Amino acid sequence: MQLSPRREVGEFRKRYKWMALTAIVVFSLLIARLAQLQLVQHDEWARIARENITKTISLPATRGILRDARGRIIAENRPSYVVYLTPQLLTPEDVERVAELMNLDETERAALQRRLDEIPAHRRTHQIEMFGDIDREQLAALETHRTDLPGVDVVPKPARTYPYGHLGAHAVGYLNEVSAEDLERLGADAGYRAGDVIGRMGVEKGWEAYLRGHRGYRRVLVDARGRRQREARGFGIAHEEVEPPTPGHDLVLTLDMELMTSIERAFAGHPSGSVVVVDVNSGRIRALYSKPSYNVNSLVAGMAQADYAALRDDPFRPLIDKTIYESYFPGSTFKPFSALAALDQPGFDPHQRVECIGYYQIGTDRKRCTSAHGEVDMRHALVQSCNTYFYVLAERVGLEPINTWARRFGFGERTGVGINSEARGFLATREWYTDHFGRFRVGDTMNTAIGQGNTRATLLQLALSYGALANGGTLYRPQLIESIREADGTLVEELPPQVARRIAIPEEHAQIIASGLFGAVNEQSGTAYEARVVGGTVVASGKTGTAEIQRGSTRRDLDPRRAWYFQRSHAWFAGYAPASDPEVAIVVLVEHGGGGGRAAAPIALRVLQDYLGERTSASASSPAASPARSPAPRAPSPRTTSASTSEGR
Amino acid sequence: MATVRTFRDQFDWPLFVTTCAIAVLGVVNLYSATSASGALTEAYLQQIYWLTLGAGVATLVAAIDYRHYERNAWIIYGGGIALLLLVFLLGTSIRGSTRWINLGGFSLQPSETAKICLIIALAKYLHHDPKTEGRTLKDLVIPGLILALPMGLILLQPDLGTGLLCMFVFGTIMVLTKLKIRSLVTLALAFVFSAPLAWNYALHDYQKNRVRAFWAQLMGEADDRIIRTIGWHSHQSQVAIGSGGFWGKGFMQGTQNQFRFLPDQHSDFPFAVWAEEQGFVGTLLLIGLYAFLVVWGLRIASTAKDRFGAVTAVGVTALIFWQAVINLGMVSGVLPVVGVTLPLFSYGGSSVLTLMIGIGLLMNVSMRRFSF
Repeated sequence: MQLSPRREVGEFRKRYKWMALTAIVVFSLLIARLAQLQLVQHDEWARIARENITKTISLPATRGILRDARGRIIAENRPSYVVYLTPQLLTPEDVERVAELMNLDETERAALQRRLDEIPAHRRTHQIEMFGDIDREQLAALETHRTDLPGVDVVPKPARTYPYGHLGAHAVGYLNEVSAEDLERLGADAGYRAGDVIGRMGVEKGWEAYLRGHRGYRRVLVDARGRRQREARGFGIAHEEVEPPTPGHDLVLTLDMELMTSIERAFAGHPSGSVVVVDVNSGRIRALYSKPSYNVNSLVAGMAQADYAALRDDPFRPLIDKTIYESYFPGSTFKPFSALAALDQPGFDPHQRVECIGYYQIGTDRKRCTSAHGEVDMRHALVQSCNTYFYVLAERVGLEPINTWARRFGFGERTGVGINSEARGFLATREWYTDHFGRFRVGDTMNTAIGQGNTRATLLQLALSYGALANGGTLYRPQLIESIREADGTLVEELPPQVARRIAIPEEHAQIIASGLFGAVNEQSGTAYEARVVGGTVVASGKTGTAEIQRGSTRRDLDPRRAWYFQRSHAWFAGYAPASDPEVAIVVLVEHGGGGGRAAAPIALRVLQDYLGERTSASASSPAASPARSPAPRAPSPRTTSASTSEGR
Repeated sequence: MATVRTFRDQFDWPLFVTTCAIAVLGVVNLYSATSASGALTEAYLQQIYWLTLGAGVATLVAAIDYRHYERNAWIIYGGGIALLLLVFLLGTSIRGSTRWINLGGFSLQPSETAKICLIIALAKYLHHDPKTEGRTLKDLVIPGLILALPMGLILLQPDLGTGLLCMFVFGTIMVLTKLKIRSLVTLALAFVFSAPLAWNYALHDYQKNRVRAFWAQLMGEADDRIIRTIGWHSHQSQVAIGSGGFWGKGFMQGTQNQFRFLPDQHSDFPFAVWAEEQGFVGTLLLIGLYAFLVVWGLRIASTAKDRFGAVTAVGVTALIFWQAVINLGMVSGVLPVVGVTLPLFSYGGSSVLTLMIGIGLLMNVSMRRFSF
C-alpha cells in the first residue's frame, strides 16, 4: 500500500498544464460573451431594462365642443370609462380573468385574444385601449379586482355625445375609432393610436385638427408585476414624467339648431329632401338639413352590421349629404340666371311679350310649358314660371351667355365649404353636347334656360347664388365655423365672412328679377302664392321649381310597388326673406315631392316665418313694422287670366 | 515556535485571499440582491453566519491530515450515500423536487455534500489503483459505479444540475489520471448520442422547456411568448447583465434587481445582479478571481505529495470550475437554465458549507505538500 508519491504525481504534470489552459480558455470565452452583452449590445439591453420598469399611461385629450351660433351645444363629451390593457403585464390567466369580469361571450373573448396577439412587441409595455365605454357592472367588477390585475387600468375618458341626435348629422358628423387602415394611411406622425377616435364626417372630420387636441402621458416606474413604485431613487429615469394633455379647440358653428328643428318640423310630411339656409350678408350657413338622417350617437358606439346595411340600402339614401355631396337639376329655380344673361344682351327688352300657348314648337319637337300662360313678359314669366318665355329667350341669347352668368353665380364650381365631399355641379357647354350627343341643338339651350338640360347644382350653390341675388351681387363663400375658441372660452380666432366674387348687376336688371321673385310668392298668379303662411308676418321672395327625373336614373332594384314614387319630379323652392331687406336665402328640395309650389314652397315659407317672424314680432315695437316691409317694386296687377297658381303637372 | 513558523510558511495565502474575496463580494452583492424582496432582506446576515461556520469547518478539515480521510474514505462515501437516501425518507419538496432534509431549522441539501464524498471516494480508489499507464474504458467500470450510485440518487430527486456536475467532476478526474484520448472520445460520443434518449425519456417537461427556450433565445428566435413564459429567467438575466454596461449602474441601483425582474436573484442569479450593478469591470474582477482559484487549485494538485491529494485537489477544483462555468453560462444565456449555484457567491447554507469543506481540503493538500 505504500507509495512512491513524487514519481507518480509527476506523471500527471503535463495534464495539469492542459487543464489550466483549458480553464483559462473557457473563462475567456465567458468574458467574451459578457463583453458582447455588456459592451457591444449594451444599448439594446439598456433600452429593454428601461422599458421593463416604465409604464406609459396615456392621458387622453378632451375633444373640442361644438356649439351653434346661439351657443347651444351640438357635440360635447360625457364621462365614460374605458379599459386599457398593458400586454406586457398580463398572464394568460389575467386575460381569462378580465374576460370573466367583463362578462364577455365566446366570440368577444376570441376577439380580445386576437387583438392582444396582434400587438407588436415594442408596444407591449404600453397601455392599449381594449374596451370603450364599459357599463356600470363591468366598471364595478374591474374596480373590485383592481389590485390583483396590474396590467388592467380603468380610465375615465370622455365619450362624444350629440344632443341633437340625427339633426344635422351630415353637417356635424360623428366620431368613431380609427381603423388599422387609417393608422397606416395617416402614418405615425399623425399621432393616432389604436383605440383613438377620429372624425368621420362633417365638421368632426373637416375640423379634426382643431378639435382633437394633443394626448398627454404620464410615465411611471413599475416593478416586474406592474405595481407602481412610488419612491424616486434615481435609476436614471425621472420618477414621474408628466405631460398634460392639451384639449382641443371649441368651435362655434354658424348653424342655428332651432332653425334646424323648425325645418325638421316643416319637413314632416315628406320622406326625403334637404334644406339650406344661408345669411345673405355673410355667407354664413344657418342650416344644412338633409333628410332622412341617422342618429350620430349610434355611430359613435359602433353600429351593428345589420343596422348599417339598412342605412346603406335605404332607397331614400340617409347616408348621402343632400346639401353638399349630391347635385340636382335646378329646374325653374335656375330661370333668374337665364333672365340675367338675357338682360345683359344689348337690345334685349324685358317688357316685350311672348305668347305662351302651353308649348313651343321647334321643328318637329314640341317643348312643353306648365300651362298656357298667354302673353307674358320677363317679370310674368318668373312669377308664373313660364317655360315658353324662356325657350324664346334661349333662342335669342344662346347657351354661352347663360353659362357665363351661371358661372358668375358660382354654378359649376365648388363653394369651398370645407366639409364632406363637395359636388362641383355641372354646366354643360356646346362642346360637351357635341361630344356626348354628336351634335348641339338649340333645344339644349332651351332646356338649359329652364334649369333642366344637363345643368346640375348643389343646394348650397343655389342658396349662395340666391343670396347674391338678394344682396345685389355679392357671392359669398359659405362659412360653417364662426369662431375658434379655447376650452375656457377664450377667443382664438374669429372667422370673417369671405367674398368669393362681386357680380356687377345693373340696378334695373336686379329690379326686374327681384320683382319677379316677389311676385311668384306674393301675387295671386305666382307659383308659390298658395304656399304662403296663413297670418304670416314675413314677406319672402323666391322661385319654385319642378325638376324632372332623368329617365333610367331610378334604381332598378326597387320594389315595383314603390318605384312609382321615385319617378316623381323633385320639388324646389329657392328664395330669400324679408323681401325688402333680405337677411337669409333658403333653398328647399323635396325629393320626388312633385310640384315645387305645392311641396317645397310651403316648407320654405313656414321655415322663414318661424325663423324671421319671431324676431320681427320681437323687434316690432312699432306696429308699422310689418306692413312697411312691402317690396319696392309694386307688382302690376296680373293681366293674364290663364295663369295657374301652381306649375305642377 | 517552530510549528508556528512552519504553519505560516505552509499556509496557502493566495487560496485564502481569493476565497475570502469571492465570499465578501458575494455578501455585498447579496445585500443588494435581496434588499428589495421583503422576506429575504436578512439573507446576507444568514450568509455571513454560514460563511463563518464554513470557515470553522474548513479550518477543521484543513487541520486534520488528509491521509485520515484517505483511510476513512469509504465511510465518508457511505455517509454521503446514506444522506442521499434519507432525502427520500424525510425529504421536503420544494418546487417539484425533493432535495432537502430538515434538520431543525436548517435544511440540509445532501446532494451538495455528496459531491465532496464522491471526490474523496474516487481519490481513494485511484490512490490504490496501480495503473500508471493510460486507462481504457475497462478501467472505468469501478470508478463509474462509484459515480453512478450518488449521481443516480441525485437525478432521482430530480436535480439535473448537480447530477451533471458530478459527471463533469468525474470526467475531469478521469482525464487527469491518464484516460486514453481514444477512450475519452468514445465517452464523449456516448454522451452526445445518449442526449436524444435523455431528451425523450429522462428529461421532465420543465427541463425540456428550459432547453427549448435557451435554444430559441440563442438563435434570436425567441418571441414575446417564449420570453414571457419559459424564457423569462434567462431573458431578464441577460437584460440585467447587458444593461449594466461597462461601469455598471452602481450598488443598489440595478433596476432589474430592485424592481424584481430577476427571479432567484440570491441563489441562482446573483451574478446577474453583480453584472448589472458593477458592470463589465465587476464582471472581469469576479471571473478573474474564479480563474485564479481554478489555476491555483490545479497548481496545488500538481504539487501534492500523493495521488489521493492530487485527485482530491483536482476534484475540488473541477467542482468549482464547472459550477462557475455552468452558472455563468446559464446566467449569460449561453447554456440552458439549470439550478447550479455560483460557488461561494450564491446564497445557500449547504452550498456554502460544501464549498468551504472543499476549500479546506485544498488547503489541506496544499499545506502538506512538504510533509511526510
